[in-house]
This record gives sequence, C-alpha cells and structure tokens, in this order.
Amino acid sequence: MEPADSGTFEALLKRGELIESPSEMTPDYLRELKHTLIVSGDTELISAPAYYLAARKAPSVNAFMTGIAIIQDELAHAHIAYHILEELGESQEALIFKRDPKAFRYPYAFDVPLESWTELVVANAMYDQAGFCLLGDIHEQCSYGPWKRGLVKVMAEENFHLRNGRNWSKRISQAGGAAKGELQQAVDWMFPLTVEWFGLPDNLKQHSAQLDYRLKGLTNDQLRQQWLSTVVPFMESIGITVPAHREDTQYVLDYPFPCTFDAEQKRWDFNDACTWDDVMVRWRGRGPRNAEMVALFQESFSKFQVRA
Amino acid sequence: MSIGAEPAEGTLETRVWAALAEIDDPEMPINLVDLGLVYGLDVDEGTVRLRLTFTAMGCPATEMLMGDIRDRLLAEPGVESVAIDIVWDPPWSSARLTPDGREALLAWGLSV
Repeated sequence: MEPADSGTFEALLKRGELIESPSEMTPDYLRELKHTLIVSGDTELISAPAYYLAARKAPSVNAFMTGIAIIQDELAHAHIAYHILEELGESQEALIFKRDPKAFRYPYAFDVPLESWTELVVANAMYDQAGFCLLGDIHEQCSYGPWKRGLVKVMAEENFHLRNGRNWSKRISQAGGAAKGELQQAVDWMFPLTVEWFGLPDNLKQHSAQLDYRLKGLTNDQLRQQWLSTVVPFMESIGITVPAHREDTQYVLDYPFPCTFDAEQKRWDFNDACTWDDVMVRWRGRGPRNAEMVALFQESFSKFQVRA
Repeated sequence: MSIGAEPAEGTLETRVWAALAEIDDPEMPINLVDLGLVYGLDVDEGTVRLRLTFTAMGCPATEMLMGDIRDRLLAEPGVESVAIDIVWDPPWSSARLTPDGREALLAWGLSV
C-alpha cells in the first residue's frame, strides 16, 4: 500500500488516535518508528547474554532459575520489537544475525561486563528500572497501536525483574561486611552509567522527532528525573550511597555530567569532566563485551541453515 | 492492617491472612491468597506455620515469594516466627483462584 499523505497522517496524530498500519504513516514516521523499535529490541536482546554471563554466578538453584526466567522475559520482549519490525518490512534475520556487533543500538552500559550475582541484581534494580521508565512512557504515549498493546505484559514482567533487583540488593546490604562493600562498589560504577542511559540533556537536544510523533511522551531529562526519583530513595533506604541528592522537586547529580569512565577498571573519574562529544566517541566505539555478547547469539546461526 | 503504635485489630489469624493478601504475584496483578497459593495456616502463640504451593515446580520466584512472606509476616505484631511447608499435592490449578482472583486475571487479559 502507498504511504499516507502527510495531511491525513498529521490529522490522525493531532487527534491523539493510534496509527495502526504502514498505510497510515508517512515515510519519516516509519523511519523514526523503526529506529525506536531497533533501539528497544537491541536493548532487550543484548540484556540476555549480559545477564546470562552473570546469572551463572547465582547463589542458589532458585536464584539461577530467577535469573534464567528474567533472561527468557528479555528475549520475549526483544521478540515483540523485532516481530513488529518485520511487519514494517525489516528482516529479523538480518537485524539479529547479520549485523556487525558495533551496529547494535543498545545502551553502552551493557557493554561493561556484569561479573557477579551482585552486579546482576544491581542491574535488575537500576538498568531494568531505566527500561521500566522508558517502556512505561512508550506504553502510555506511543502513537503506534501494535507496539503500545504489545507492551502491556512487558511492563508486568519488568516488575518481576525490579523486584528481584530490589529484594536481593536489600538482602545483600543487610548481610553487611564484604557483601555490602561489593554492592556499594557495583552501584558506584553502574549508577552513572544508568544516568547517561537516558541520553543527551534536553538543553543540548533541540529537537526530538520521537516526541513530535508521540513515539514517546517524556524528554530525556524528564525520564532521567523519573529514574532518579525511584532509584535514589531506594538505595538510600537500604544504606547504599549514591552520587545524587534531592533539591526541591528535582534530583541533582553530585558529579560533573558527563565525566570520564574507565570501562576496564569500571571506574568513573568525577574530577575529569568531559564533553558529550567524548561520550559519543565512547558509545560509538562500544565497550569491552560488545563483540563477545553478539557472538553468543550469532555464532551458531549459520551452522544450521538449510542451503537451497 | 495495624500501623505504628495503634493496637492490632482482629485475631492474629485474620491479620495473617490479610497480610498475605498484601503480597502480589511478581508478574500478575493478583495477590497470593486470591491466586490460591496458600493451602492453609496455623497460628500457635507467635508461630505461623503455613502450607504454600506454587503455580509450577519450575516457578522462578519461590525464594522471592517466601522471602516476601517472611518479611511481611514478621512485621505483623504478635508474629515471632514463620514456618513455610511447601506443598505439591494437590497440584495448583486455576480452580484454586478465588472469585476476586479470577476477575483480576480476566481483567488483565488472561483466560482462566
């Protein structure tokens, strides 16, 4: 079918109605929708190997089952995004199995190895909270009907991941001693990585097609504030310190944003502020685990293809 | 539910059931009592012994749920210890849902 003319499309969007098929979209909307779906699908997909490599360190059989169940959920969420992309004319096979590792569009945080159960549960408490904020916004605001509806159960499942992250973080903190020290250490490097997950600050991002097209409803800074308003009080409630505090209705970071990060050492240098251009260079170069994680799901694909 | 220094109302057993009904399943908008996971409970002095099942043997949330149950019940005035017996016979089925639970799952889009 021919794409919609822009007048009809704008009218639909303005009335707050849902777009249901490519025939109702303009080419620009389709391109922006696909881009947003790819980021979402890639993020869910890459979280599976990232979490799997840490879940192997689970402290009990049921904890391992919890880790595996979370990974299964993430793969299902990725599947929802890639399935919609396929309906929009993309090839799932090409997207998942044929792309160069550096071409995947997920947050840089996942490229830094999660190496222990503690780091996994902190990821559940902080990375999944970021996913929850972003997807929750899309679920509420998204103008593309099939995606909006597909997110109902995604949100419920993300709750399970958050609960695992919070329950375990609390438990590890209560254990005290070296266990609590390890938890604090994990939060120290993962907290700023999740803060930058939400992207450029609003004052540097002049225009957002995603907002214009109602693919999302909140700006980067609004989403970042939403995340801070849940993570900061939670971490403080379990006796873990975070480099942010509340001033009136806003949360303020206690370090220069952005600043430099040593991915190998998992260490931030709060005395070394940098520019967003520097951050973009780090993001585009991807981090230590990018190729290993993509290889985990790509390497066996071609082995079992039946040749015509 | 009793809050702060207010006197606890109702028998301990009633309050324990009410406390259990505050704990939601990790993935579905339904509490453990309406889901029919609690097969029964005895309260003896300050000890609560409950018989608990799960919807599947492969349930990935068993430790999470038992931890939440312990934390919540131990916060209830008069509860000093909690013992949980895991029961697999009879196996859980959707017939164990309460009418409220059935309604909650139907509203959420699950056919039960």
